[in-house]
Amino acid sequence: MAVKRKISVALLGLIAFIWAFPTLWVLYEAFFAQDRGIGFTLQNFSEALYSAPFPQYMVNTVEIALGLLVMQLFFGALVGFILARYDFPLKSLITTICIMQIVIPIYAVLIQDYQLLRSFHLLDTKAGLMLPYAVSGIAVLSFRQAFRSVPRELEEAARMDGYNMPGVFRRVYLPQAIPAVIAFSVISVTYHWTDFLWPLIVTNTSGSRPVVVGLAMVGLATEASMQWNLLAAATAIVILPLLVVFVLATKKILAAFSSTFNW
Amino acid sequence: MIHLRINDNPGPGTARQRSLVAAVRPHLLCYGLLLLPIAMVCTFIVIPMVRTVWSSFQAMDARGMAIHFSGWQNYHNLFASTLLQTVLKNTLFYSVLSVVLCLIISFILSIVLNDSRNSSSRFLLIGLFSPTVIPVVAGANIWLYFLAPRFGLLGRILEPFGLGNVNLLGEPTSALCVLVVLFVWKYAPYFTLFLLAALQAIPPDIRDAMRTEDPHHWHSYFKVILPMIAPMIAFVTMMATVYALETVDPVYVMTQGGPGNGTNLIMYYLYQLGFNYFSWGPAAALSTILMVGLSGLSAVSLIILERRAFHWQ
Repeated sequence: MAVKRKISVALLGLIAFIWAFPTLWVLYEAFFAQDRGIGFTLQNFSEALYSAPFPQYMVNTVEIALGLLVMQLFFGALVGFILARYDFPLKSLITTICIMQIVIPIYAVLIQDYQLLRSFHLLDTKAGLMLPYAVSGIAVLSFRQAFRSVPRELEEAARMDGYNMPGVFRRVYLPQAIPAVIAFSVISVTYHWTDFLWPLIVTNTSGSRPVVVGLAMVGLATEASMQWNLLAAATAIVILPLLVVFVLATKKILAAFSSTFNW
Repeated sequence: MIHLRINDNPGPGTARQRSLVAAVRPHLLCYGLLLLPIAMVCTFIVIPMVRTVWSSFQAMDARGMAIHFSGWQNYHNLFASTLLQTVLKNTLFYSVLSVVLCLIISFILSIVLNDSRNSSSRFLLIGLFSPTVIPVVAGANIWLYFLAPRFGLLGRILEPFGLGNVNLLGEPTSALCVLVVLFVWKYAPYFTLFLLAALQAIPPDIRDAMRTEDPHHWHSYFKVILPMIAPMIAFVTMMATVYALETVDPVYVMTQGGPGNGTNLIMYYLYQLGFNYFSWGPAAALSTILMVGLSGLSAVSLIILERRAFHWQ
């Protein structure tokens, strides 16, 4: 048994090393590769920052990801609560629409959504980028599941204490949904931080372009001109914040990923 | 809250209207609160979906405005192009290889992780799952850098053998294989998480019984464990297929579909049809086909997951 355990740890270590290696290599090169030899340098980063407005892109991405998160949580809690707590005609239609939001890939309605934004004059704006994602079916169903597990007795006890519906929602239901909120936040922010095709189509200028699209543009340019150090630095700029957060909260983030479809 | 049903056997029209009003009135607040979110989903998902199908049967101008009804013409044009056949062949090769490799690797990883749960250190987890949090575009850049001829690490390793100039992205089959490697690198750990969750959901008493009755595990893996995690394997297969079919970012960054359309995958072709060639009609037809296929796959995978939950709880 001990031998077997050792073998599996060694295998795991090997696989983990293979998986991490390309990333580590690029980070190393970004900091240490120079035109003449090897040594610590920030030259690559200053070139990368000069080649594209990465701080601006980063601000855009943060605004988009956090703005979407707030909207998705708000609408998710609202619709999820109504679906969990009340019965009314056409309820199953509402649920079906939310499930459709999950099942229909955004790629399939991309062109129609693009034309819709054009007619709203919202192309190349952050608001336009966010609108199709503002209501998340996964958020709705996660909240519904969390609210459903709240015993009715708790609600009645709170009513006895003189709370009205908003008060009951805030004091009884919302605390029960905290784990679901955390898990959903991780998934949502990761998804929208890394989303590519939709922002690529919608954005045109640095005022609205998220960092992933900016990185792809820089990637294409550097590939053509073979400025590999610059490519490494630009990639490092994009992935370092993500990796820092991931290192700080590894287990929490992994737990959130694996609970994506627990509703 | 009282729940009133719409009268199934209504009398005259006015009575029917009255019962409808009576049925709806207690829920007006609910409907009011639901109005905005549901309207948004309808505006950006449901109606565009219907419009996509509708416009796939219309002739369209360069701005994507429908001119007149054209029957199956768009589908005909779509399938008449030889490029589509290349794209379909690429996509099939890429998806099958990616999904199979992903499944094998994530299955092995989940078993190893499950066995060594206590000793799996933070270091290992960070290394293994770092591709999961990295954007695909950044991952594509990393591999681009890694594989760059002469300059990248692979080139430097192969240099002494006279292969320093080898460009894996310069030849259709090897370029497609690079995309497969990227997909497996990015998603195999992610799918491992789901298989691992399924393995950990197996009740401990079954685990103990297996340990006493079959110490070598081999037999029990196939007779006991595999059937228990089979729904999750099916779910992961579906998800991996959907993800593979939706691959577009690495194609855009690494190859732009080349060389010679050797890495042109279906989602990238859709992007090209619409936003490079402005042939909106065939693009709408392809969107419709993809919508039916992908949402069908997603729906089936969710149903599998739902039935698994139903089975276990």
